[in-house]
Amino acid sequence: MIMIALLVVSALGALAAFLPAQFARFVSTGLAALAFGLSLAMYATGAGFWHEYDKPWVPGLNLRFHLGVDGISWPLIVLTTLLTLLCCGYSLWKTPDSRLIGLLLAMQTGIVGAFLALDLVLFFVFFEVILLPMYAVIAGWGGPAKRAAARKFVLYTLFGSMLLLLGVYLVVDQTGSADLAAPKGTATMAAFVFLALGFAVKAPLWPLHTWLPDAHSEAPTVGSVMLAGVLLKLGTYGLIRVAIPVAPEAAAKAAPVLGGLAVAAILIGGLVCLAQTELKRLIAYSSVGHMGFVLLGIATMSATGLQAALIGNLAHGLITGLLFFLVGAIKDRTHTGELSQLGGLRDSSPWLAGILGFAALASLGLPGLAGFWGEAFAVIAAAQRGWWLGAALAAVGGALAAAYLLRMLRKVTHGSSPPRLTGPAGYELAAWVPLAVLTIAVGLAPLLITDVTGPAVDALVEAIQR
Amino acid sequence: MTFKLPAIDYLALAPMLVLFGAACAGVLVDALVPREWRYHVQVPLSLVALLASGGFVVALANRKEHVVTAGSAVVIDGPGLFLQGSIVVLGIVALFLVAERRLEPGGAFVAQAAVVAGSEADRKQMRKPGVTEVYPMMLFALAGMMLFCSANDLLTMFVALEVFSLPLYLLCALARRRRLLSQEAAVKYFLLGAFASAFFLYGVAMIYGYAGKVDFRGINEAVLGSSNSKTLLLIGLAMLAIGLLFKVAAVPFHVWTPDVYQGAPTPITAFMAACTKVAAFGGLLRVLYVAFERSSWDFRPTLGVIAAATMIVGAVLAVTQTDIKRLLAYSSVANAGYLLTGTLSMNRDGLKYTMFYLVAYGFTVLAAFAIVMLVRDSDGEATHLARWAGLGRRSPVFASLFTFLMLAFAGIPLTSGFTAKFGVFAAAVGGNMTWLVIIGVLSSMILAFPYLRVVVLMWLSVPGDDTPTVSVPGAFTAAALFVGVAMTLVLGVAPNQALELVNDAGAFLR
Amino acid sequence: MSLSPYVPIVGLFALAAAFALFSVAAAPLTGPRRYNRAKLDAYECGIEPTPQAAGGGKFPVKFYLTAMLFIVFDIEIIFLYPWAVSFNALGLFGFVEMVLFIGTVFVAYAYVWRRGGLDWD
Repeated sequence: MIMIALLVVSALGALAAFLPAQFARFVSTGLAALAFGLSLAMYATGAGFWHEYDKPWVPGLNLRFHLGVDGISWPLIVLTTLLTLLCCGYSLWKTPDSRLIGLLLAMQTGIVGAFLALDLVLFFVFFEVILLPMYAVIAGWGGPAKRAAARKFVLYTLFGSMLLLLGVYLVVDQTGSADLAAPKGTATMAAFVFLALGFAVKAPLWPLHTWLPDAHSEAPTVGSVMLAGVLLKLGTYGLIRVAIPVAPEAAAKAAPVLGGLAVAAILIGGLVCLAQTELKRLIAYSSVGHMGFVLLGIATMSATGLQAALIGNLAHGLITGLLFFLVGAIKDRTHTGELSQLGGLRDSSPWLAGILGFAALASLGLPGLAGFWGEAFAVIAAAQRGWWLGAALAAVGGALAAAYLLRMLRKVTHGSSPPRLTGPAGYELAAWVPLAVLTIAVGLAPLLITDVTGPAVDALVEAIQR
Repeated sequence: MTFKLPAIDYLALAPMLVLFGAACAGVLVDALVPREWRYHVQVPLSLVALLASGGFVVALANRKEHVVTAGSAVVIDGPGLFLQGSIVVLGIVALFLVAERRLEPGGAFVAQAAVVAGSEADRKQMRKPGVTEVYPMMLFALAGMMLFCSANDLLTMFVALEVFSLPLYLLCALARRRRLLSQEAAVKYFLLGAFASAFFLYGVAMIYGYAGKVDFRGINEAVLGSSNSKTLLLIGLAMLAIGLLFKVAAVPFHVWTPDVYQGAPTPITAFMAACTKVAAFGGLLRVLYVAFERSSWDFRPTLGVIAAATMIVGAVLAVTQTDIKRLLAYSSVANAGYLLTGTLSMNRDGLKYTMFYLVAYGFTVLAAFAIVMLVRDSDGEATHLARWAGLGRRSPVFASLFTFLMLAFAGIPLTSGFTAKFGVFAAAVGGNMTWLVIIGVLSSMILAFPYLRVVVLMWLSVPGDDTPTVSVPGAFTAAALFVGVAMTLVLGVAPNQALELVNDAGAFLR
Repeated sequence: MSLSPYVPIVGLFALAAAFALFSVAAAPLTGPRRYNRAKLDAYECGIEPTPQAAGGGKFPVKFYLTAMLFIVFDIEIIFLYPWAVSFNALGLFGFVEMVLFIGTVFVAYAYVWRRGGLDWD
């Protein structure tokens, strides 16, 4: 029931924002806070599903309203509700337009629904629900080239979901079941390829990533945060929850290809970042590299790799969310994101420079911060699997991350000193601090996450190796 | 010489008889009732007739007894009844749109169609109320469509085809505004339609030459056992298919669609998009599933290519349209492709979901055209897309409804469009037509663009000086709009009832 | 298969052709020749011929109307004839059907009459 309550609260929040009243956005933000509370309250321990709800919805279409939460999905759900809440709070002061908040909550409904869904068709339904709010956020509140970016986003994402849909048809046709709680695991390579391609567009896996930098550089700050923080996670989550369990044999065969592409994404993401001249595009491309590590972890299909993928997912959501908030703050103050025109942030706004430095260090995978564990263990898992070359190249990619982030820091914080910028506003701190704190917490005590995900991952690995 | 009289089950024919009778009565009303009273008699008469016809369909469905009657000319079976019921219900909603007179003084129809467009007499008649012959013509068309769906031999089918086509040709020519466009549409539709009818009839002759019979059961037996040359069968089937594919607006027999949809009075466009589609696909389903099921190896590849072309061409051309009615016309072409995909699955699911799709699409398209009717300025409906810019600011309610309908066309989940598309594609995968599903899925991605463009135009553009207003709908249009939107939502969120209905309809009776 | 049933038909065709040929051939040979302007004009149902149809190439719609009405009643006669021939065999059922059919045609007739389709101007 708590899962339905979470969905209903999110949907109500989305609807409430469209009420023609001044206080509507406060009501919506309140509901977002309530949703965050509910997602926390879903916590439990152990393998298997902590909560499950199963009712037939449209039997004729194999559609069941089957929800469930376990150690794999719970951290992502909490991340989603947290980031939505932070974005809503941020928007309350930054862009006091209740429609934006409504769209954020509509997005949350779809994302949480997809994380909760234990029915393939239901998963697809929620997956599709996300598309339009995100499109509207980019097209409505974006930068100067927002139309083109929004169109590109929709084109790619629709393409991805259509491939996904084909995969869904094939799985249902081949296994006769759309159940994700205990998938039959007899789907063929064709089904796996369609599903994996669909998720790879979303993740995004090189070379299907080209929509991401455009979408990010034009999207408003909250849009970027949601996009990087949670939307990309749907792709990797889909691989773990859907593509691999329904077709483990095909997945095992395709794993080296997936791993190779992941390593390519890490390297190419890093190299492209080195050449970026715009702050938001740089961070967007860094996402390609970071998600490459996550995909590498998934490709190993081992417990270590999957753990690394899940923790990497979470860390990337926290860190990149924080980075986009910070970049938004910088762009608001200096009205430019061009690295060549920025500089001297250390003098003009020490506060901002300090926290940006922190986020950049976290992003490059400094031990002790959240980014480290996912990437380190993805490399280890690849080595354990015997992919020595891949592991070595991925490690080089990690070094590249250090290079481009430090280059970014040098360009932004050092250099000639512009006039003093205003210090961080209260609402900005409110958005940054929770993310920074969680980054440190996960970095210092990764057991917080692995204890939650561990049993579920072990069960999953056992299921797919059977 | 003695005749054996055919047994006739009058109850089974009642839904159609009621409509034919009411249509004749409607003609008499136009002959005998004073001009100012005609509208007030015709509308209730048509409505009562449709309700009575619907009542008989329900009674027959409850009787659960499937019969072949009237000397095996007509068959009343589950799918046939479902299609008849859909035609009646969609017809009622379309009647609401036709009967609307609040939006424009005198309604959407011209007062005297024979007056030369643009002449002095034409200017004079602008203020007069529109013709009331549209109501009996609509009833004739609806009755013909119902007969088309339940004909049991090719000749009855041809008669039904003509009975529903002729009124449609006339109805297309009766627009009050832009009369030349309307007449052009009617002439195009008539000429091409007559051509298609000729193809159909020639096909019937060929099939008769092959099978020696024109009834579906006989053809089915002949396909199995006849020793005649198969060439006749294939030529005949191809010609029949051309006649039917013309009506469903499949590529390459679709060229009339945009012109006719644009030129015809908008309520009639809605009527054609919803009801004609049901009837044409009902007929196509029956011909393919009952008569030619056994030669599906012969026609599936060819019709598959046509379905693929229909989806792609419809979707791609929809992208380039600048007029909302033409956009919806090309979308209707593309939807014919999806329906063909379902039809070609040649299995139970294919029949089921194609019928479901027909109903779902019918309601959505009716509601969409209802909104097209509402967006107008002093010059009538403003159909050019550029004029719709910023409509979301002017009238958020209607823009929201239209957005919802566009999402349904695009097949976004929680709308009937998703349920329907999912169903036909799943059926096609089950029927080993996966390649067609791949094309369908890709084309529906392309097709999502024009819809999204309209949505973006409405919400994200600043309204200009010439952005038209959205008129307050009269009771009729409001009712049609409400029914259409509500069904689009219900069939998307809770389609169980409707799916059970198509499931219970079972298979065609042979 | 014997072709004998077709012999009368062939005979009929031959007779018809012979009659047509004979008429065409005989008329100029036997008839008087008194030409005037009206006789040399094209035959157009009695109306005054014009180089081009009046109204810029458009023919008055009234003629089409008359032609269409003719077809309605033409078809009625075509239906009535076989029914009348086999009236006894069809019995009451046939009678009722025919009344219904005539009734339907009568509906069209009533419509045309009341709406002025039979008025020439």
